[in-house]
Amino acid sequence: MPIISLDPRVTRLEIPEEQGLEPIQPNEYFETYEVFHQAKSGDKHIHVGSVHAPSAEMAFLFAKEQYGRRSKSYNIWIVRSSDITSIMSEDADIFATAPEKTYREAGGYKVREKINAFRKQHGSTQQSS
Amino acid sequence: MEALSSLHKEAIREFLYKMADDQLILGHRNSEWTGLGPLLEEDIAFSSMAQDKLGHALALYTILHEHLGEKDPDTIAFTRNERELRCCHLVEYPIGGYDFSLTRHFLFDTAEHLRFEMLAGSAFEPLAQVARKIKGEIKYHVLHAQTWMKQLGSATEESKARMQSALNETMPLALGIFEASPFEAELAEHNIFAGEHELRNRWLEVIAPTVADAGLVLPDIDALTPAYGGRQGYHTEYLQPLLTEMTEVFRIDPTVEW
Amino acid sequence: MYGGGYIYDKSSPAEQHQDDPAKLAEFEAKIDRGEKIEPHDWMPRDYRKQLIRMIEQHAHSEIIGALPEGTWITRAPGFRRKLALMAKVQDEVGHGQLLYNAAETLGKPREEMINDLLSGKSKYSNVFNYPAKTWGDTAVIAWLIDAAAIVNQVTNSKGSYGPYCRALERICQEESFHLKYGHDTVVYLATGTPTQRAMVQEALTRWWPPIMHFFGPPDKVSVHTEKLMRWKVKLASNDDMRQQFLNMYVPKIWELGLTLPDPNLRKNDETGQWEYTEPDWDEFFRVINGEGPCNAERLAVRNAAEENGRWVRRALMKPVGQYTQPLC
Ligand SMILES: [Fe+2]
Ligand SMILES: [Fe+2]
Repeated sequence: MPIISLDPRVTRLEIPEEQGLEPIQPNEYFETYEVFHQAKSGDKHIHVGSVHAPSAEMAFLFAKEQYGRRSKSYNIWIVRSSDITSIMSEDADIFATAPEKTYREAGGYKVREKINAFRKQHGSTQQSS
Repeated sequence: MEALSSLHKEAIREFLYKMADDQLILGHRNSEWTGLGPLLEEDIAFSSMAQDKLGHALALYTILHEHLGEKDPDTIAFTRNERELRCCHLVEYPIGGYDFSLTRHFLFDTAEHLRFEMLAGSAFEPLAQVARKIKGEIKYHVLHAQTWMKQLGSATEESKARMQSALNETMPLALGIFEASPFEAELAEHNIFAGEHELRNRWLEVIAPTVADAGLVLPDIDALTPAYGGRQGYHTEYLQPLLTEMTEVFRIDPTVEW
Repeated sequence: MYGGGYIYDKSSPAEQHQDDPAKLAEFEAKIDRGEKIEPHDWMPRDYRKQLIRMIEQHAHSEIIGALPEGTWITRAPGFRRKLALMAKVQDEVGHGQLLYNAAETLGKPREEMINDLLSGKSKYSNVFNYPAKTWGDTAVIAWLIDAAAIVNQVTNSKGSYGPYCRALERICQEESFHLKYGHDTVVYLATGTPTQRAMVQEALTRWWPPIMHFFGPPDKVSVHTEKLMRWKVKLASNDDMRQQFLNMYVPKIWELGLTLPDPNLRKNDETGQWEYTEPDWDEFFRVINGEGPCNAERLAVRNAAEENGRWVRRALMKPVGQYTQPLC
């Protein structure tokens, strides 16, 4: 006797009461692709998640609905997850000293005090505007 | 829109009903896959398209209500019996396997895409507006359908065989989409719609190369008997049970808000 | 939907591992600073294991949770409800997708998770083992089960694992639509005809015990729980979340003139706590162990869905055995 359900869709599936259980094979849900979403023209693409798909085209079709069904969208990029290069967290210290390099920053150059001292010592030669 | 002559009005009414009923019934059918699809991602995509179809039905029933004096969309959709519906047989069939549902989706949505492309220039402005608005939605549906047809049509022996037999099964049903209405001349004359025959020709031009690309064989169209009758209110055994199920809650009290 | 508040947990102290003390200290300091843990960070084995178990159960709850509400997907009355219910159930499937991806970043493939669901090795939220008998049940589920799930998910979104928090952020946004839709549907029924009102009252009465079960039994104070709290895997006690839920929603139920089947339910103004009849926890465990009214059907349907989709997936499967997992 197939399952009779409160859900008429389920009843129509005619599910036998005793079903075999065939395991899902490794990789049966395909590869993963990363999804980058651009909300409107002029915006950056932002990583929003990933999809399982058998090909990049399919990944696009899936991503369009999983990541673009609610908000505004202008474009979506799809990249195979395994094509993305990144580092292990233990190597994140390669970035550690970057914020200290103040010679790269506008804020690292402060000459106002020097100018003021100079003007105090020599007097201004020009009318300040 | 200036006052419509009564014949003219009847022609548009009939035209809108059949299109809207197709969308309602197929949207309803396709919603049955929600939560039961072959892959979570596809489940989501297919559900969106089913929602779109219901949205299209709603837009068309709204035109009927606002421009042709028909009842409100909920009453139209949830209180008629099968004899009053004008959908084609293709949309009535149960969802079957994913091979059947995908093939139906491919054949129907390709026709829908071309139909609304034609209607974007219709002289009946409310319809032209809807057609222009949903153009992008249907473009996605067709892309989705074509991609699946191509991938499954050329994958394994099993998938090829399944898709081919689904195509053989759905083709005569799909031809039923183009069953001529008594008002073809009227609609063409007033530049409302160029006609089912014209649409059918355009459709064949599009599906033939896709089917070939997918590695499948298009059945010999001339040898098939199209499943006609739906446009006149004669339906398959599946429609009335579908309606009875769909309206089960609504019918408890059709006069109140749910 | 459904954070499935209660994490089914059968781990024993013997399963727990000794981790490198220096790395562990660094890890805990990072969590103390309020920083998130990312997939490639070092993490204690128990942390990984607990998170996989929790996120996986949450994901299962979403896709199994699509079934009781799906029961009425072909019968929703009117366009507005029909579209909304379809969109809601679709969102739940979407939540499952996001959560399986989050769990996968910890190294367990989606295929294995589904296999564990189908074999009964991995659990899902107990509430979905109850039937949605009428349209009123879908209204109550969409409002109150989703409300309970939101309490749980908002709490969990402050956890320590980056991918889970990000998934929950998106999920919580969608849940606010579910909650509004559910409340709207309940209000229309409760303020409608006597038939409509009776429909929603009966559904509420049916669903109250599973709702009280939702967050799980009072936590046992254990070294294990304490550790999960420290690691921000568990963020609030089951009782705290239950109190939060009662405080937010019981007044909203009562304002509709609906009644709840617990004569002892009241807020103690002195303590600020809700008092209630302790739910039947024996039943809760019976249902978890497979004896609920719908356990067998839910798994059979999920299994049938996988079975029916198998030829589609096998057709497009690549022969390469390389497993890829979502990045973050
Ligand atoms: Fe959810
Ligand atoms: Fe939800």
